[in-house]
Amino acid sequence: MIDLGNLSEMELDVLKELGNIGAGHAATSLSQLLDKEINIAVPKVRVGEIRNISKEFISDIVAGVIIALQDLEENKSGYLYIMFPEASSKQIASNLFGFEEFDEEMYESTIMEVGNILASSFCDASADFMDVILLPSPPSFAVDVPTAVIDSVVAQMAKRSNHIIIFETSLSSDSNIVIFLALLPEPSLLVDIMKVLEQL
Amino acid sequence: MNDNILFVSGRSGKAIFFTKRDVIVKSYCSVSSTCSLRDRCQSCEMVDIAKNYLTDRTPNSSIKTLDEELSVGIGEYKIGKRALLEAMGLGSCIGVILFDMSTGISGIAHILLPGASQTGETKYAETAIDKVLEDMSKQGARRSKIYSKFAGGAQVFKHMNLEILKIGSRNAISVEETLIKKKIPILAKDVGGEVGRSVMFNPVDGSMIVRYTKGGVIWL
Repeated sequence: MIDLGNLSEMELDVLKELGNIGAGHAATSLSQLLDKEINIAVPKVRVGEIRNISKEFISDIVAGVIIALQDLEENKSGYLYIMFPEASSKQIASNLFGFEEFDEEMYESTIMEVGNILASSFCDASADFMDVILLPSPPSFAVDVPTAVIDSVVAQMAKRSNHIIIFETSLSSDSNIVIFLALLPEPSLLVDIMKVLEQL
Repeated sequence: MNDNILFVSGRSGKAIFFTKRDVIVKSYCSVSSTCSLRDRCQSCEMVDIAKNYLTDRTPNSSIKTLDEELSVGIGEYKIGKRALLEAMGLGSCIGVILFDMSTGISGIAHILLPGASQTGETKYAETAIDKVLEDMSKQGARRSKIYSKFAGGAQVFKHMNLEILKIGSRNAISVEETLIKKKIPILAKDVGGEVGRSVMFNPVDGSMIVRYTKGGVIWL
């Protein structure tokens, strides 16, 4: 069992690289989807204590999409948490539809689908470049403050560890769209990454 | 001791004012849902009482100061006397408050998981409630005078494809069962629903203030 509170620099770096490649590909998909140039922020990896997790996120209401990740043996690898601040999610939806007004149901499934596409490209990249297979679950969707959205996932992870790793980056365009992307890996994902590295 | 947090109880309602350099910066008010000024608080009986107090600091029966603000992170608990207790950003989590009005000693726990921990971890409902009771007693609270209030345990997901996200109602049941088992009277609760909450407790009058993340405040 890997102790998340006690990771080496190298383990964190490897994780960061996985996050980087995944986020880079997610940015490319978003760029193609919206036909806009997308910038990606320098990502951060933090090992934090669960009790402080609310400090890791913005405090405004977001449309949050959560996707669980599994490996081929159905071990839980972690969770992707995609946060769309409300102004951005509305703008993404109107960009895709080409008009400003849309009903709630349509808007929600659009944001879920965008989350789904970003997660799939994240997973594709991790398989292509790192040989780490991640299978995404269908997305779950909520609109609330980021901590309230994620706390049920944190509860799941907290059964095993008091620490949580958060890989976080943001994707943004010049038209004020910002998306926050976080990866919350389970220890088994680190095991999978280490196995791949040992074979090199 | 700082007196930057004021609790005002007037004829029309009650309010908590946070002040900075003698200026009101934030307020939580029991009449905000029916207040014509909304949250802008330009002038009303309670704002006037607070402003007068900030100018001359004359003790007044309708105004009380709170010593400090104690905020708990996920899985933590805190005990205070005359402290405003807070648990912010509760989705499926529960904010549980235990208080003894006779001594003013009160505690809050931010509960993440149902059940008890084998190793004393306070992210679990039963363990957290046990620890709060234990620490309150150590500080002089009387077990037979302890009452409880709690809020949280929402199900914020509109579209859900993961079973594990349904933990809110399990948390609420676990908290309630624990309190009943320990014979601690439950004076108020606000659980379930689809919206996240922040919970505060005012030890001066024993009220729990629930603020919904999408707007709205209720005093219980």
